[in-house]
Order: sequence, then structure tokens, then C-alpha cells
Amino acid sequence: MLKTCCRSFTARLICLRSLRLLLLPVCVICLIPVAQAEGVRSAAMLSHTCAGCHGTDGASAGEAMPTIAGMDKGYLVKVLEDYKQDLRPSTIMGRIMRGYSDQEIAAIASFFAERPWVSTERPIDGELAYQGELIHQERCESCHADGGRGQDIRSPRLAGQWGPYIQYALETCRARGESCKKRQGAERVMVLEDAEIQALAHYYESQK
Amino acid sequence: MNPSRRRFLGSLGRAAAGSAAVGLLGAPAILRAETPKARVVVVGGGYGGAIAAKYLKMADPALRVTLIERNPVYVSCPLSNEVLSGEREMESLTFDYRGLSRRGIAVMGDEIVEIDPEKRLVRGKGGAVYNYDKLILSPGISFDFSTIDGMSTELADSTFPHAWKAGPQTLLLRRQLEAMPDGGVCAIVAPPNPFRCPPGPYERAAQIALYLSHHKPKSKVMIYDAKDAFSKQGLFQAAWKEHYGDMIEWIPAAAGGNIEAIDPNSMTLVGAVEDFQADVINLIPPQRAAELAVNNGLVDASGWCPVNQQTFESTLHPDIYIIGDAALAGAMPKSGYSANSQGKVCAMAVAAAINGQPAPVPSYVNTCYSILAPDHGISVAGVYELKGGEIVSVPGAGGLSAADADAHTRAIEVQFAIGWYRNITADMFT
Ligand SMILES: Cc1cc2nc3c(=O)[nH]c(=O)nc-3n(C[C@H](O)[C@H](O)[C@H](O)COP(=O)(O)OP(=O)(O)OC[C@H]3O[C@@H](n4cnc5c(N)ncnc54)[C@H](O)[C@@H]3O)c2cc1C
Repeated sequence: MLKTCCRSFTARLICLRSLRLLLLPVCVICLIPVAQAEGVRSAAMLSHTCAGCHGTDGASAGEAMPTIAGMDKGYLVKVLEDYKQDLRPSTIMGRIMRGYSDQEIAAIASFFAERPWVSTERPIDGELAYQGELIHQERCESCHADGGRGQDIRSPRLAGQWGPYIQYALETCRARGESCKKRQGAERVMVLEDAEIQALAHYYESQK
Repeated sequence: MNPSRRRFLGSLGRAAAGSAAVGLLGAPAILRAETPKARVVVVGGGYGGAIAAKYLKMADPALRVTLIERNPVYVSCPLSNEVLSGEREMESLTFDYRGLSRRGIAVMGDEIVEIDPEKRLVRGKGGAVYNYDKLILSPGISFDFSTIDGMSTELADSTFPHAWKAGPQTLLLRRQLEAMPDGGVCAIVAPPNPFRCPPGPYERAAQIALYLSHHKPKSKVMIYDAKDAFSKQGLFQAAWKEHYGDMIEWIPAAAGGNIEAIDPNSMTLVGAVEDFQADVINLIPPQRAAELAVNNGLVDASGWCPVNQQTFESTLHPDIYIIGDAALAGAMPKSGYSANSQGKVCAMAVAAAINGQPAPVPSYVNTCYSILAPDHGISVAGVYELKGGEIVSVPGAGGLSAADADAHTRAIEVQFAIGWYRNITADMFT
């Protein structure tokens, strides 16, 4: 945890300052060199390693893996930082993001924000999508505007995203209860039935 | 010196003079189109080679990239253990090279038998010659049967499949399991370190048990191991127990699990302490780099290829790069994800070298999923960096799935395993 904190620039500044005041012996640990890449790693170098799970240039080939290309940069930074700091529960992303400095996370976020969004191309069940649209209009459109096409630092693009991924994400949030509640819109997710989640996920995938 | 080689030196000379852009812009359009900046030959179209070829083209479309692969299609080892349980068909593991051809990569069907580092060429089985300025090899592994008395390549093909290169042996092992009587014993002989896919034998035990528990519930899966510990061990052992009770039993080397000989007639494995009989024997032999690397002076005493871990250039021959299972890559395990990650680092290093730029600072990742039951997946992740010339794990990052994860998490990790497979194979072949 300490090592992780010291990889961040601000944390290091704080450590340095407190060292000057000779406040805490802990901060001496901060100055022991932590593993840090020898030199600056390019955004492409860092980001290409993500393609093994998220697809070439962040356009996912399916189904549980989200497309991350073309997402809002601020949103990506926030999510990746939250993984790193264990503020956002995950199966694997936390373990991975702890390997990167804040500057590297910003570089990765920029790289993917600049790639083109690619919507899925699967056949759509019109009836299921329609049921999803009703739920969306009633409970989600206020943030996930324009049928989930809109995005900003707090709301990711959902239109054209893989339905199964959205479904797992919603189910996971609902299953985690309290630990997910802090997230915007989470209290609306908590009350969704299985069938509603399925319809909603399918609706978003249907919107290109 | 052949004419294209001279052309290459010409463009390098310009780059060295610091006026590459001027030189190329000044050339007539036709010449620009016809003269490749440099020729990169990639041998082996698997997890490492397909990626190196594609990302070279992405890094610098002006390169002439040739991918040489001996098989017309590639069969993925990842997820091939699911063929043994009957959860998956071989078709879903099989890929062709049309996607890479569409990207402007010349895909040649040939088996390379000789590398001439002096003349900078490789020779195919039928005598075809391919010239290169930079050569990238991702040829995978070969097997060393010499430590197990009585074992041979022929026996692996006919009777004791390793199924450690997905293909006919995977199907042979599946047929043997189907023919095994209820109450029979399937033995897996697990190899010493280092070897391809450290969690692989233990995932396989679970997939075989999945099949047996449905169809032959009185049977056993015995793992005879040359080691005393293995990857994700605690997670594996807990999952074996949870899903298959006492069906899977692991005998470490310290308990006599090291197998020294095999007797095909009596279906007996000869251990250091006692002998073991089995109805089906999946013998996964000790491993080393592929024949191509061994036969061409690219391995050291360990049997693997020493490389500069920043660029993957061989420390034994300049301008030859080795990635994937065949390479000695510091702390990285021999996995498909590692090969993918190394292929990208190597492609960027080769493109930089050709363009007269310094080798980029590398970044590497590994993620390996194992599917232990239809709703039980686990994973190991690693984030790596270069330190003092060695690939090392970034402290504090990576690690295993939580030991106390709930059923929902375990089930989602199976979906992520399948999603990983979709994406990494799309990264290779589209
Ligand atoms: C059962 C099993 C399960 C696995 N599961 C996973 C997993 O879940 N995740 C994971 O990350 N990894 C997994 N792996 C490991 C993964 O398969 C390897 O690490 C990966 O294939 C290594 O890539 P490579 O490019 O080095 O070799 P390969 O993928 O084997 O590619 C080598 C290619 O080179 C070709 N070739 C070799 N010599 C020549 C020659 N002389 N001329 C022309 N062509 C040649 C071969 O035909 C082959 O196509 C698993 C392995 C096994 C056995």
C-alpha cells in the first residue's frame, strides 16, 4: 500500500515534505526506490498490453469484456484510479492497475479515449430491446442520455456496448450491495429484477 | 550482396545521416511504393508470432512483413482442456491467417529448417529462401523425452499423448477418456519447471474430472508431479475438493511423484519409490525451446533462448529476436498472454531499430485464467517492467483471485476467461 502511494506524484510530494519536517520514520520507506520503470513508457507501449482482454485498440471482440475505445478520458482515469486504490471492486483490474503510476494511467486513458468507438454487430431481439428501452427512459436516461450514447466523466457510453458485459456489471453491482451503493445511480440498480437487467443490457447493445 | 539488401542499407544510411524523411520524400512515388524500408521475417504464427507480425505493420506500414508458418491453420492450446471435458469443439480453437493477409502481411506456408545469420536468410523445408533484415522467431516448445526411460515421440503420437500442442493428440486423449471404463485411472504426468502454461496440467485435471464425474463417477485422476508445488496451488486444491471430492489426487515429487520410466505393455509408470498403473496416461514431458531454435544455435545450456529482455534480440546472434515460450523472459511465465505482450514489445523495438530510434522502454503484462468447473474460474495476473536488464514483477501488483471469493465472482471469472480468449485470438488473427 505504501509503495503504491509513493508511486503517485502527490503522495510523494507529501512524503518529501513530511521528511523535511522529520515527522515520521515511515516516510523514509517512501524514499527507498520502489520498482519504477527505467524511463518513460509510451502510451502505445502501455496500452497495447490491454488488448489481450479488451481487443486491439480497445475495441472488444466480446462478450464479457467491455469496449474501452472512445470512452471519455476523465471517466477512464477515474475508473482506473479507483481500481488501483481498491475503491471500485473488481475480479482482476485492481491487481493489474496497481502496477502503474498515476501518469501512466493518464497516458493509458488518453490512448483509449482517442481510439474510435466500435459498436457490436450482433442480431438484436426487438421485443427485448423495447422492454429495455422502457426501463431506460424511466430510470437511466437522465444520466445515460441519448439512449446511452452520451458520456461524461461520470457516465460511460453504453450504446453499442456488449450486452453481456453490461449485464454482468449490473448484476455484480447489485450483488455487492453496500460497496457499490456509493456509485452514481447504484440505488436504481439495486432494485432491478434479473429480467429487467437482461432487457436493459440488450437495449443498450441495440443502440449504435 | 543481393540487390534488396543493398536497397535496405541505402535507406538505413539515409536514416543514419539524419535525413531519412528528406530522402524518402525526395524519391519518386513509384520507388517509394516498391521499395520496402526493410524486410522483417516472422517465423511461427502462434500467440507470439501472429502478434509480432500484426503490430509491426501497425507500428510502421512501410515495412515488408512476412509471416512463415508451417501449418495452414493454428489450433489454440488455451481452452483446449475444455475439449477433454466435452465442453468445447476443436473448431472453436482453430484459426486461419486470412485476417493477417488482409493487413498486408505476406503469409507463407513453410517449415523453416535452417537459419543463416551471416547471410541473413532462412531456408524452408523444400529449399525456399527468405531474406531478412530482422528475423523474429516465436516457434514455441519442443519435448525432451530423454529423462523418461521408454518414452518417445512415437509413443506420444500413438499411446501416451501429451496434448501440450493442441491438435490430433488432444483428440486422441479425449477418445482414450471416452473408452476408459468407469472406475479407471487417468494419470497426468506433470513436467518440471520451466514449462508452457504453469497452471495447465492442474486445469486439465479439473476438466477431465468434470467429464468423469458425469460419465464415470467411480474413476480417478492421478497427477504425478516432478515438482513439490505448482501455480495457483491453493485455489486449485480447494476447487478440486469442492467440485470433485476425492476424484483428483496430486502426488508431489517428495511423495514419489517423479516419474522415471514408462512401460507401455503393462501401462505402468515407474516412480522413484513405487510404480503406478493407469488406464489412460497423459504424459507431459520436460520441455525446451522449439527444434528451430535448438538446431540453430539460439539456446544456452538451459535449453531456452537467452535474449536482451528489453528488445528480445538474441544475445547469441544479432538481428534475430525470440519471443514467446522459447525465450528466457525473466519473471514472465510461459503463457499465451506473455507471448502476446512480448510480441508487441519486440515489434516496437524492431520498428524503432529500423527507423534509427532508441529501443522503447518496455511494458509487459500476463493474465492466465483457469476454468475448473462450468461456473468456477480463477486467475493469476502479473505486471512487469525492466529493471537492470531483467524483466521483473512490479511490486504490489498482480497476484491471484481471492481465496475467499464468492460464487458470483467465480462464475464471472469463467465469463472473463472466455472473453479473454475471444479478444486475444481476435488480437492475433483479425
Ligand atoms: C493445455 C494448455 C492450456 C493453455 N492455456 C493457456 C491459457 O489459458 N492462457 C495462456 O495465456 N496460455 C495458455 N497456454 C500456453 C500457450 O499455449 C503458450 O504459452 C503459447 O502458445 C506460446 O506462444 P508461442 O508463440 O511461443 O508458441 P505457439 O503458440 O506454439 O506458436 C508457435 C508456432 O510456430 C510454428 N512453428 C514452429 N516451428 C516452426 C518452423 N520451423 N517453421 C514454421 N513454423 C514453425 C508452430 O507451428 C506454431 O504455430 C496453454 C497451453 C496449454 C498446452
